[in-house]
Amino acid sequence: MFEREEETVERVIQHLRRPVAIDAGLDARVMREIAQTPSQGRRAWPLWPLVAAAAVLAAVLFARPWNRNATSKADTLQFVLVAPQAASVALVGDFNDWDPARAPMQTAHGVWATVVRLAPGRYRYAFLVNGVEWRADPGAPAAKDDEFGTPSSVVTVGGRGS
Amino acid sequence: MGIHKVEPSDAELVRRVRAGDTGAYGALVSRYRDRLGRYAVHMIGDREDAEEALQDSFVRAYRSLARCDDPARFGAWLYGILVNRCRTTGARAARRRRMFVHDAQALDGAAHADRADRLDWTDAVDRALTRLAPDYREAFLLKHVEDLEYEEIAELTGAGVSALKMRVKRAREQLQKYLREAEHV
Repeated sequence: MFEREEETVERVIQHLRRPVAIDAGLDARVMREIAQTPSQGRRAWPLWPLVAAAAVLAAVLFARPWNRNATSKADTLQFVLVAPQAASVALVGDFNDWDPARAPMQTAHGVWATVVRLAPGRYRYAFLVNGVEWRADPGAPAAKDDEFGTPSSVVTVGGRGS
Repeated sequence: MGIHKVEPSDAELVRRVRAGDTGAYGALVSRYRDRLGRYAVHMIGDREDAEEALQDSFVRAYRSLARCDDPARFGAWLYGILVNRCRTTGARAARRRRMFVHDAQALDGAAHADRADRLDWTDAVDRALTRLAPDYREAFLLKHVEDLEYEEIAELTGAGVSALKMRVKRAREQLQKYLREAEHV
């Protein structure tokens, strides 16, 4: 087939401009990595809340309660789930009687988050996505003793057993 | 008519990230993932390496966000980080390829033509692109696929505009030549 050479290059360009499917998990991996790794750049910002927010996020991803004050009786924890496709996400667990209405999560561009204050203890929890799909926290230990048959995770507040 | 979703600007999202809203960075990742991913895949030629380079670039950009002088041009700044990262990855991959190709050519030079005959268009384009010198491939992709202006490419790559125009011209000529060869073998 004869084809003018310029047309060949234009065809190459159109071919290369087609979308390339990138692994959908990349967003979550980036968000996990930036939450876990201290940033040099943050020191230059006169904005301590970023450091605090990242610390909270990292703490939850590792299922370690972030203790704002070691002497306080309760801890304030931020729970985060990256779910860009979700229409709604609720945090449910032992601390709210597994009632989705009591802890709807707020989204910022696919990153769902909510803050709860928990007394010391061990809690099982999960995320309820779109009202029907149960998800464990990918960054926290799985609950081994969940009797309901749906995935769930464990968070321990105040250093008591897990 | 109807309800239109208004996306926050890059500058607004950068401002939010700097103010502590880590989630806003997710929007920037989502916004640039596919476009930058396409560049990385074509530039590096290996999807796994490309995604690693892309992920690393996003993380580096986040860590260095304080150094993004003009948040409205976050995209261009991010491109610069990815271009550099692709150069590093590409250089490593090229060393691996050279070691492999020398042996392969010695072993089956004659069989090469038979295989080329069976290449479809996608394979032919990928192969032709891989044969371009990295600086030619880089200039060609940024100009014609990513649709950047020469001045923007100059800023990203550190090369002069006239040198970039020459690279793009040579890249076009070589692509024509390589594809013609693939068509006629």
